[in-house]
Amino acid sequence: MKKILSLVMTLAMFAILAAGCGSTAAAPAAQPTTKAEPVELTVFAAASMTETITQIQALYKTAAPEVTLIINFDSSGTLKTQIEEGADCDLFISAAQKQMNALDITSDKNTDKLDLIIPETRTNILENKVVLVVPEGNPGGINAFEDINTDKVSMIALGNADVPVGQYAQEIFTNMGVWDALQSKITFGSNVKEVTTQVSEKAVDCGVVYATDAYSAGLTAVAEAPAGSLKTPVVYPAAVTRSSKHAEAAQAFLDYLQSDACSAIFEKVGFTVVK
Amino acid sequence: MDWFPLLNSLRISAISTFLTFFLGISAAYYIAKAPRSIKGLLDVVLTLPLVLPPTVVGYLLLCLLGPKRVFGAWVFQVFGFKMVMTWWSAVFSTTVVAFPLMYRTTRGAFESFDMTLQYAAQTLGMSNTRIFWRIRMPYCWQGILAGTVLSFARALGEYGATSMIAGYTPGKTATISTTVYQLWRTNNDALAFRWVLVNMAISFVVLMAVNLLEQKNRTRRLEVRPL
Repeated sequence: MKKILSLVMTLAMFAILAAGCGSTAAAPAAQPTTKAEPVELTVFAAASMTETITQIQALYKTAAPEVTLIINFDSSGTLKTQIEEGADCDLFISAAQKQMNALDITSDKNTDKLDLIIPETRTNILENKVVLVVPEGNPGGINAFEDINTDKVSMIALGNADVPVGQYAQEIFTNMGVWDALQSKITFGSNVKEVTTQVSEKAVDCGVVYATDAYSAGLTAVAEAPAGSLKTPVVYPAAVTRSSKHAEAAQAFLDYLQSDACSAIFEKVGFTVVK
Repeated sequence: MDWFPLLNSLRISAISTFLTFFLGISAAYYIAKAPRSIKGLLDVVLTLPLVLPPTVVGYLLLCLLGPKRVFGAWVFQVFGFKMVMTWWSAVFSTTVVAFPLMYRTTRGAFESFDMTLQYAAQTLGMSNTRIFWRIRMPYCWQGILAGTVLSFARALGEYGATSMIAGYTPGKTATISTTVYQLWRTNNDALAFRWVLVNMAISFVVLMAVNLLEQKNRTRRLEVRPL
């Protein structure tokens, strides 16, 4: 029994080896000669771009078939930490200047003096708006940011201090003078999508997310930030990383993101394209 | 240092251990008596939360208790409160994940119970309830206590399901585990590490207690215990 089993295993091993060798030997003969080599490009993108960049990923397959995009969506703070810790990344798109500044050696806000992105490739590509969203049907009757510091709201979901939309929300409420008063009502999420889900699931009375997330999740944005409360422009910068082994391909994709086809996709969900 | 996460974690674990104690023991007792056909199935179902990832457990709990879901919406309509995003929502998640530990340990203890004691008591005319509380429970006491302590430790260390169902509101729903995560996320490493030490200290004490009880349990079986 044991002898038969080991014989079968050996044959199976040879079969797999043959198949493995066979396919690589056969492949060049089967495929027509292509100019570009296959490239795997890793893109770290802010969670708020999930729907749009996923669509663009499909489009890019036709524009540059040799490029396989691997996209990691999460809060810009998490992505920045991952890049700091040495994660493989070719292109980083952040939802705020703060996270990009922390990696840009030419930035005066870079306290740790990290040099992890190529400053010459840094471009602002999109603008977004920060809005107040409510669950379907607006059961709490909330219509403005000012309502949050009233009894209409018992719980609001915000991004935590590491998430750009959480930082924007904190700025808004600090400028409105209500940040400390709201502390007992806030539940902090790890990225904007978690906040959006909590609002959609009616687990909270309202939440502060981007206009684009509200659109993608089918939530009603009942109010924009009150005038003068959000002084930091909500701008999304993108840059190629220093450690990228495919800087040209990354730049090509970054250029593609600024093309008309992609601009249409971004504008559809509520982004403003920076020219 | 704001000690709320410790107090919150302790009260959540205490409540869920209390619930798991009674649920686990009843489940172990009645399932031991169940017919073989469904015994295996029930055993698997009740042990499932032990092997499922906590995020899966959290997701399933949200499907049940979320304000938009059948049960959660009903509770909201009839009683007017949400079952999620409160400190006691975490009791659901901790009870569910700690239950299999109590259940399995108690079943083990019950299965090592010397049935001749029960038969002797029955011939003497004792009721089943009296036999359970006065004979079976004291006999299996060390095993049950070990199970209780393990459940408490598991409830204290629960993160995934708790963060999904209770969210994170410092001062209201924060537990030690969710606090450490959020402190790490916001680069507050010093405070995060302090909480790590607090949690390790508690877990250490708890597990030492379990070890001592298990040792006593092993030597116990060899003694003859008078009724």
